[in-house]
Amino acid sequence: MIDAKPDRKSRKFREIDQFDLNEKSQYYLLPFRFHRITDEKEIIVNEVGDYLTLSNGTFERIVKRQLDKEKDAELYGDLIANFFISEEPIPPLIDVLATRYRTKKLFLNYFTGLHIFVISLRCEHTCHYCQVSRVTQNRDLYDMSIANIDKGIEIMFKSPNPHVTMEFQGGEALLAFDNIKYAVEKAERIADEVGKGLTKVICTNLALINEEILEYCKEHEILISTSLDGPKYVHDKNRHKPHASSYELAIKGIELSRKILGHDRVSALMTTTKLSLAYPVEIIDEYFNLGFQGIFLRNISPYGFALRTDKSKYETEKFLTFYKKALDRILEYNFSGHYFTEDLAKIFLTKILTPFNVGFVDLQSPAGLINGVVVFNYDGGVYATDESRMLAEQKDYTFKLGTLDDSYNDLFFGKKAQEIAQLWANEALTGCSECAFQQYCGADPVHNHATQGDMYGFRPNSDFCQKNMEIIRYLIVLMESDNRIKKIFESWAKTATH
Amino acid sequence: MPFQNEIKDNEIIVFADTSLFSKDSIFKCLYWYGDKFHTNVSFADSNTFRVSVKPISTNRLSQQEQENLLLKLERDLVDFNLRDIVTKETQNVRDLLIAKAFSNGEFDELPPGDVSDPVGFNVNQLKND
Amino acid sequence: MLLRTKGKPINIETHLVGKVTRNPDQLDENSFLLIDSSISELPSKNYMGVLSRQDEYEVKNGEYVVFKIPTLDHLTDGDIVSVGNDGNINTLYRVNSFHNTLLATERCNSNCLMCSQPPRDKNDIPIHYQIHKKLIPLIPKDCFELGISGGEPTLMGDLFFDLLSQIKTELPATEIHVLTNGRSFAWNQMAEKLGELDYRRLMLGIPLYADYYQVHDYIVQAENAFYQTILGLHNLARYNQRLEVRIVLHKQSIPRLTRLAKYIYKNLPFVEHVTFMGLEYIGYTPHNIQKLWIDPYDYHDELGEAVEFLAGQGMHVSIYNTPLCVLPERLWKFARKSISDWKNDYLPECSRCSKLNDCGGLFTWNLKKHSEHIRPFTA
Repeated sequence: MIDAKPDRKSRKFREIDQFDLNEKSQYYLLPFRFHRITDEKEIIVNEVGDYLTLSNGTFERIVKRQLDKEKDAELYGDLIANFFISEEPIPPLIDVLATRYRTKKLFLNYFTGLHIFVISLRCEHTCHYCQVSRVTQNRDLYDMSIANIDKGIEIMFKSPNPHVTMEFQGGEALLAFDNIKYAVEKAERIADEVGKGLTKVICTNLALINEEILEYCKEHEILISTSLDGPKYVHDKNRHKPHASSYELAIKGIELSRKILGHDRVSALMTTTKLSLAYPVEIIDEYFNLGFQGIFLRNISPYGFALRTDKSKYETEKFLTFYKKALDRILEYNFSGHYFTEDLAKIFLTKILTPFNVGFVDLQSPAGLINGVVVFNYDGGVYATDESRMLAEQKDYTFKLGTLDDSYNDLFFGKKAQEIAQLWANEALTGCSECAFQQYCGADPVHNHATQGDMYGFRPNSDFCQKNMEIIRYLIVLMESDNRIKKIFESWAKTATH
Repeated sequence: MPFQNEIKDNEIIVFADTSLFSKDSIFKCLYWYGDKFHTNVSFADSNTFRVSVKPISTNRLSQQEQENLLLKLERDLVDFNLRDIVTKETQNVRDLLIAKAFSNGEFDELPPGDVSDPVGFNVNQLKND
Repeated sequence: MLLRTKGKPINIETHLVGKVTRNPDQLDENSFLLIDSSISELPSKNYMGVLSRQDEYEVKNGEYVVFKIPTLDHLTDGDIVSVGNDGNINTLYRVNSFHNTLLATERCNSNCLMCSQPPRDKNDIPIHYQIHKKLIPLIPKDCFELGISGGEPTLMGDLFFDLLSQIKTELPATEIHVLTNGRSFAWNQMAEKLGELDYRRLMLGIPLYADYYQVHDYIVQAENAFYQTILGLHNLARYNQRLEVRIVLHKQSIPRLTRLAKYIYKNLPFVEHVTFMGLEYIGYTPHNIQKLWIDPYDYHDELGEAVEFLAGQGMHVSIYNTPLCVLPERLWKFARKSISDWKNDYLPECSRCSKLNDCGGLFTWNLKKHSEHIRPFTA
């Protein structure tokens, strides 16, 4: 409680040293984490993702209380202002910091948003790294039944999230376009009734796209997400289609889709394969020349058929080299005035540079599985992630939450979900708990299980850890060494949040 | 100091004063060596940890590799000990912070200082209506 | 610009507030008749009183009068004045201005080094409040924007909320801009009370001078002010109040300016507007000029980085009180003609400038202390 204190008689000006609330220079540490990013520089990151880069040895001086408030005035001010140290055991702005922490974890407020419907497992492509698809005419066995579509929609609208996304995947989703239409129209009716937002996405290789389908997509505001791995000689090798060029079909499909739906209603996803690794510049150029505003440099997932195909195995190290070369190319475009992003970097940069976060399934903590995404498989199985259903194709049902016949509570809060929840927060994982990049990274129990045989994972030889640590480190080093890059990165981060 | 860090039979051995290094920090440090090395912690005497790492691979390390590894282990132990200090010193405030983050402001602190002017103003007089 | 004048009062016992007019047909019970020279006959209807330049005045019906006023030229029909028992006539509202401000109090709990209107330690709150209570109903309903400043308006306590509530009722279409140091809102009940008003046309302009408490507290000459202001901003955001952060540019605020911009984006991303303001050479500033002066030309880099960073992150940013010729051209798009008409001026050489119409110019009082780099553009 404060009292009226009409005690200040004088309005005489006082010097700055009289406004020091802590003349003894004794300070308390606040939670933050440390990492060496180059031979000369170290980084400290606070509990809400703000970082400072420091010259070697500074972290030790901070911890050992060797800072001098006078001599290190600028650093001392930075550390206080950015919540690394405090002059009180409980910092005066702890409630502000708590609000910022809540903002970083805001994705938890909404719960599951993305609902993937594997509408058909059938496909007319025979991609060598494909994890799940079947070339077959057997609709009964490999298409999602109307009954299961109904149940999936019912469960989707039980999500507390005020805005849900319904994404149709395959196989090749367009092989079951009639069922998509049924699902879209039913979901639209319910969304209207219950007053929820609804986004609809069809993932397709575009081989089967035509004006009629696109007119329907236009009428129902359906987004198109396709695959494009790079130039023809990369794409067609990756994505084999008997008696046709997958690339030609994709390009034609993108053009037609843009014409009918609008330029920004069509996105493309790129998967890096062993072959792609030789063409970082060419892949970027392909995306740039096609008028995309960015590219997501995804490494191939270690699931399903991919694990068994030698052809698609490559080391993380090689991917990182590829990634850096591609990022260099992207930065060249930006230097010459174009806006073109790398979307993995954009996710990290949003976490690093902004007070906000982005929900991205394997780069959040708690992980995005169940919290952010759920998969309804063609056969009625319900899985924690897209990768989880791919494991199931190899008879690994570790991440099967149940079936569409189960109750919402059993699926989302049941035994399996609780088991996964034990280790879906990197704050509580060995190796991650004191990692400086914890706030920028995430937990991925499915990946750990698929690559290392247990959900908990072992960080020292985890490719997930190796890849994310190096990309985050590299992004920070880049922008700390070149102000032009920092400005570009800031512009990417901004658009990710608005 | 009676114990000298050393490289012996392809094994890197580092000694750490128990009054300066926490046991937790030593294990957190060695965790990161676990993919390529056999690791071991024991007491050299009642005041000294003996920390050792030895390659799992049967290939012998070169002299240079061994020296680099010794240096890396020494540095890592210091780094992890500092991290451990931060973790432990800040545990309470971190718990408080997270509890506050997932509350609705009902545990807010009172602001520091007062807001009165020389004529006398009391913000709390506004409270009662 | 003349805002007060004085004459000899007759019959006036308390503060009167009324509109002025020179047209007897416009008179009503809330207006004064202005008499520049003699008139033949006073209107017979009911009106508030007479303000006259005449040297002699003969009271007929016990009306309120101030006479022997040196000039009434500054008053336009529709302006609102207060008339005191001492014969003081203060202009409270000018109908032809976009910059009308209610002075809530001259009391303040801060004592900023560069305060343009130094505080006074006397309790003037009741008298100002009484005058405003009479003034607000007289303000035209189409008034676009009304400012409330001080001193520190929140020192009014409950009366602060009463005042806002009255304005909200009487002037529902008017934008209200309150200048406050925000410190009182560190106490949640203050922010909560403001939230209860549910006043969407209200914007609070709150100063912040550094990201580090000691620098801010020194500039505002008040311990804990930084922490209180930040907590206040957060409490106000909790109740969805519209907020503007105001940064005065001078030697004490420039060194951490780019850090302050980052701090605002990270910790106060909810603010609607961030303004960077040139120093006013008035109030305390001349006394503290050694501690404050830095030529605006010499802080281009810091200002540019701060402004472009915040704008780049999607925040709405303005530069106030700074002539175009001392700003790098890339910052022109952020410069606003911010100086109220009655205190706005230009240097003699500015008359030759081709950008004069786009330029906000200077405060009248800054003609004495201005950048060394003011140059007319000749196109």
